[in-house]
Amino acid sequence: MSAETEHKHAGPGRYVAVWIALLLFTALTVALGRSHLAGSWGLPVALAIAVVKSTLVVLFFMHLWDHGGANRLVLATALVFVALLIGLVLLDSATRFPLADPPTEATMRLMPPGPGAPPGVEPAAARP
Amino acid sequence: MSPSPASIPPAPADAGAPLYLERNYLNARRGLWSWLTTLDHKRIGVMYLVLTSAALFLGGIFAMLLRIELLTPGPTIMSALAYNRTFTLHGVVMIFLFMIPAIPGIFGNFFLPLMIGARDVAFPRLNLLSVYLYLTGAAIALYGMIHGGADTGWTFYTPYSTTTVTMVWPILLGAFVLGMGSIVTGLNFIVTVHTLRAPGIGFMRMPLFVWALYATSIIQVLATPVLGITLLLVAVENVFGFGIFDPARGGDPVLFQHMFWFYSHPAVYIMILPAMGAITEVLSAFARKNTFGYRAVAFSSLGIAFVGFFTWGHHLFTSGQSTVDAGIFGVLSMFVGIFTAIKIFNWTATLYRGSIAIRTPFIYVIAFLFFLLFGGMTGIALATVALDVHWQDTYFVVAHFHFIMVGGTVAGFLAALTYWWPKMFGKSYSERWGIVGATLIFLGFNFTFIPQFLLGNEGMPRRYYSYPVRFWPLNVASTAGASVLALGFLVVLATLLLSLKYGKPAGPNPWGSRGYEWKTLSPPPEGNFLTQPTYPRMPHDYDDLNPGRGGH
Amino acid sequence: MPAAESHVAHHFPDLEVQSHAARLGMWLFLATEVLLFGGLFTAYALYRMLYPSAFHGASRLIETSMGALNTVVLITSSLTVALAFHYSRQSRNRLAALLLVATIGLGFVFLGVKAVEYAHHFREGHLPGRFYRYAGLQVPGASMFFTVYFLMTGLHGIHVIIGMGVLTWLAVGAWRGSYGGDYTTPIELGGMYWHLVDLIWIFLFPLLYLI
Repeated sequence: MSAETEHKHAGPGRYVAVWIALLLFTALTVALGRSHLAGSWGLPVALAIAVVKSTLVVLFFMHLWDHGGANRLVLATALVFVALLIGLVLLDSATRFPLADPPTEATMRLMPPGPGAPPGVEPAAARP
Repeated sequence: MSPSPASIPPAPADAGAPLYLERNYLNARRGLWSWLTTLDHKRIGVMYLVLTSAALFLGGIFAMLLRIELLTPGPTIMSALAYNRTFTLHGVVMIFLFMIPAIPGIFGNFFLPLMIGARDVAFPRLNLLSVYLYLTGAAIALYGMIHGGADTGWTFYTPYSTTTVTMVWPILLGAFVLGMGSIVTGLNFIVTVHTLRAPGIGFMRMPLFVWALYATSIIQVLATPVLGITLLLVAVENVFGFGIFDPARGGDPVLFQHMFWFYSHPAVYIMILPAMGAITEVLSAFARKNTFGYRAVAFSSLGIAFVGFFTWGHHLFTSGQSTVDAGIFGVLSMFVGIFTAIKIFNWTATLYRGSIAIRTPFIYVIAFLFFLLFGGMTGIALATVALDVHWQDTYFVVAHFHFIMVGGTVAGFLAALTYWWPKMFGKSYSERWGIVGATLIFLGFNFTFIPQFLLGNEGMPRRYYSYPVRFWPLNVASTAGASVLALGFLVVLATLLLSLKYGKPAGPNPWGSRGYEWKTLSPPPEGNFLTQPTYPRMPHDYDDLNPGRGGH
Repeated sequence: MPAAESHVAHHFPDLEVQSHAARLGMWLFLATEVLLFGGLFTAYALYRMLYPSAFHGASRLIETSMGALNTVVLITSSLTVALAFHYSRQSRNRLAALLLVATIGLGFVFLGVKAVEYAHHFREGHLPGRFYRYAGLQVPGASMFFTVYFLMTGLHGIHVIIGMGVLTWLAVGAWRGSYGGDYTTPIELGGMYWHLVDLIWIFLFPLLYLI
């Protein structure tokens, strides 16, 4: 409890420090995104930076650093279930029989050219 | 049906308490306005009782129309489109207006604060808001029903739901608003349990109905938003044609099914978990024995809530989902069976060597156990991928989920209603007619849905208004059973309503229950307790009645 | 303390329990918001997986600098709302109200930038589903990127507008001195909502602008 009271009266300095850190991470992610330095790792790196930024916001702006217990559990549970939804949907898509997917660049090659293909899907070479 | 040999000793705390508290929550304030603006959780529970019972009645009318249509192989009383609309409305009304809000809305609101010794839920205004969200959602959905209704089934599968010309969007929007009401209720319960337990009621001393509600609330809070966004996306697609789930524009209809069932499968546990909690309370009271394995029953509620989120894909076995995913979901679905079995074993162990009093609520308990076992076992069979391919979209599935939802949830609802009725309104109903109603419901239910298992196994598909002549006899049997079932509901309704006028005062604790909610007067005063009760024992503690049998 | 006691509802033992309940309730509400957006993130993940090159191409049609500018705007608005809570605790109500007004102003800047972007997309035909008519990128899935883009930024924008409404109400209350000292729960909860809006954008920005 004494630690909590201490944090409650922490000056605005902590908020400003977090703000500066968030701005620096934003600059970093933009720079990495523009320069394509990370290559095929671009998205994971950008997401990792986003996770760091959001952790800062949650812990210090939203005071989860000070108020633990059930509040942390609520947020963690919500994130677990979002991950579950995304994870199992992506696993389905990754292991699905290709023709059960909507027409994509990949499934297009498996389809015979013809009038049955939806508009905008037929290979460019097949157009007049 | 003779009264039990063991007479029910009144709890010591009842000595000197009035049989009927004259100035109670029902008449402390008067007038319609006092009801519409009430922040009293008990009055909100009663409002939910009226509203959800009306929904049950409406959904029941739709069900009877469906059964009458299926009385003969060809068209009987309606066209194919009318049939499609009727089964959609039956599903929407029963699920969104009755099953999901009923037990948490009525008994959760009324009894959760009483069971943890609180004077109200944490956010009484939000609680009232949830009633109005329910009313708003119901009104929007009714608007859609009156203006033609939808013909998509309650599952709103795309791409059909985004291309049909019927009024899908009001029903989607109505379900969205109803979902918000459900979230508010769940949020309220979680915070109430965390912050308003009376001194002496630790987490491990909460009544098991509270545990069940707590687990239910977690599902309501975490799953309902996904339904919300899914229904919004369908409505947007239906109105604007954004191509979210439309394969012709690059969308994936299976994504809709994933997102829809991410909510709607856990929603089954929103419906059944509170019923299980209520059954635990009733069963312990009428066996006059401690609930066997308190911790196991409490944690199995959380277990069902958690594992319930890992099983949604078993609705997609034949929808183009990958076989890898189907296998994973099939296996994970079995885990629900483990937690349900824990409950069933503990209930059975509670009954073992108990001094069982066969009263109306207890008949529903027995019916519930039978239905849940039957429905649960067929559920395990359906979660097996190879078997599901055979049974998908047949009446076998219809019979299975009606065994869980009507057999489980409605039996639990009726057990809770007949058990807590004397506490809620202070009056005893006619035990004889109560037993008649319960028996009619049990028999009628079995005659309705056991033929449907057979029909499904022979290959009769669901959602058709006509069928080959060879399915005729079993369909007649099912319709006859449904009529008995409907009669049973009317008997229950009449019994309970008549008790309000002619019933004898019930007294604070007519069943001799040790549940914490019985520590107040009947009907409870406006502030729940005249003096704050103390909680020296565990809930469901009957050890002093069973000397030498050992507590659990 | 007597001033704060009047804020305790009859069914709570004291203000501390009530604040704890309010905070927990708010986190639960934010959890529902996370799951609400979670559905859209799922759609994004699936379609990005199905149409990787279309998403890559379409994401170049939206201007990174605009997204970066809005990120800075929202992060700064999170700072101002956090400071408003801080000064409200010290009962410096006028300063808290001014910081809330600054937050609302930044919200308007965010919406303005978004409006400029949307106008550009409407002109060029970078639109969802059947409205997509941009000739420069005709591959399957390009319209899906804009479906997801408009749904995500649209829902986020609605949250920004709701948040601004809440903050306006709080700013008026703070100016009148309704909060302060031990009773700052409304500002704390309103601030948490605004931070959530910021959080969602922290993820939307790289997913939509930087891929």
